[in-house]
Amino acid sequence: MQEFNYYRPVTITELKENLSQPGTRILAGGTDIVPKMRQGKFSASILVDTSGVQAMRFIEDQGNEIVLGALTTHQEAADSALLKNINPALVMAVESIGCQQTRCRGTLGGNIANASPAADTIPPLLIFDATLLLQSLSGDRRIPLEKFLLGPGETDLQEGEFIHSISFKPMFGLWGSAFIKVGKRSGMAVSIVNIAVAVELNDKGKISDIRIALGSVAPTVIRCRKIEQSLIGKEPKPALMKEIQDACQEEISPITDIRSTEEYRDHAAAVIIHRALETAVDQAKGKTR
Amino acid sequence: MKEISVAFLLNGNKTSVTSLPNRTLLDVLRTDLGFTGAKDACGGEGECGACTVILNGKPVNSCMIFIGQVEGTQITTIEGLLEKGEYHRLQKAFVETGAVQCGFCTPGAILTAKALLDENPHPTDQEIREGLSGNLCRCTGYNKMIDAIHLAELGGLDD
Repeated sequence: MQEFNYYRPVTITELKENLSQPGTRILAGGTDIVPKMRQGKFSASILVDTSGVQAMRFIEDQGNEIVLGALTTHQEAADSALLKNINPALVMAVESIGCQQTRCRGTLGGNIANASPAADTIPPLLIFDATLLLQSLSGDRRIPLEKFLLGPGETDLQEGEFIHSISFKPMFGLWGSAFIKVGKRSGMAVSIVNIAVAVELNDKGKISDIRIALGSVAPTVIRCRKIEQSLIGKEPKPALMKEIQDACQEEISPITDIRSTEEYRDHAAAVIIHRALETAVDQAKGKTR
Repeated sequence: MKEISVAFLLNGNKTSVTSLPNRTLLDVLRTDLGFTGAKDACGGEGECGACTVILNGKPVNSCMIFIGQVEGTQITTIEGLLEKGEYHRLQKAFVETGAVQCGFCTPGAILTAKALLDENPHPTDQEIREGLSGNLCRCTGYNKMIDAIHLAELGGLDD
């Protein structure tokens, strides 16, 4: 195991001060970083462990916004009655991550900071236009999650900064959301493709709002805005599903890697767009005003 | 690399250790404290669950936690399930149903099951399967573990 000096702040002020030293890296739950350090794939001269900062572990309904502390674990999100109601796709996503043991340690902030194109929590946050609150000794700033993600493992996080919380606005009316992932097996597998969809229907049953986010088909998780635009005002019918699948091929740029091939991802993405939209539409139709 | 001091409750006992920070909870439990119930099977990848311990009521992989991260926490290992020389009902149930063969995955599986029953006293088969999905067994298989967990939750043992 690599060598490093270790800090464990318990307040946000201490965390900001610890991170202001040069050469620091952030540790949260450790489910990704501990194995990576053992394999020599991640190094730090100073490791600042955020896992003791209890003030960043919360799920709050602030009326017009839902705010999630960056240290909220996947399991805490999975067990949240509030999130089941407000963002079912996010609950489906966190339930699909790893196993109990990893969900109880892994955090939402950690999953975002890792910036894996296959991250399961990111699509359900992107469909809600989530924003991040970043903090450092020199001040706070807000950034849309979509702009924060720059590439595989690359983010806009600056030296000394950390993710404090994630916030998004709930949807109202006749809406539904869904998350689906395709992996080699159901437990512990990294997604080959994943998707989150949110759809809102007007009282005539037509699509008044739709958001689609796909993972593992581009350098970052992406919002499929062209497909979204083409669907507004339309009635969700099986024929439309076919249209979506075709449009999808123009919007994504999957690659072949150790988990799967470009061709398979192209195919699987289309299939799961279809399935996720069906689930989200059924959910929306099951709601009454 | 500077050493750190870490204090926590281990099986109900106040415990403090001084260690280099790049060691995991699993390393310290086995090497420094002699609690060898938690095992390393997958080489620290968090894949197998053999190193499972209960941390603040939740099952976690002790191979993926740096020792500094357990400061102020409560940890239960398989050794902590023994009460006044008596095995826990889950341990008895695992023996009773034949859910133990080589025994390497057993401590982790039992602790995962305990954390599950503490939160959900009467789980369905599906909930047990979900709960145990992070504990790999390569000889007994999972059906007997599910039988054992039902035996324990239904109180079908002569205590």
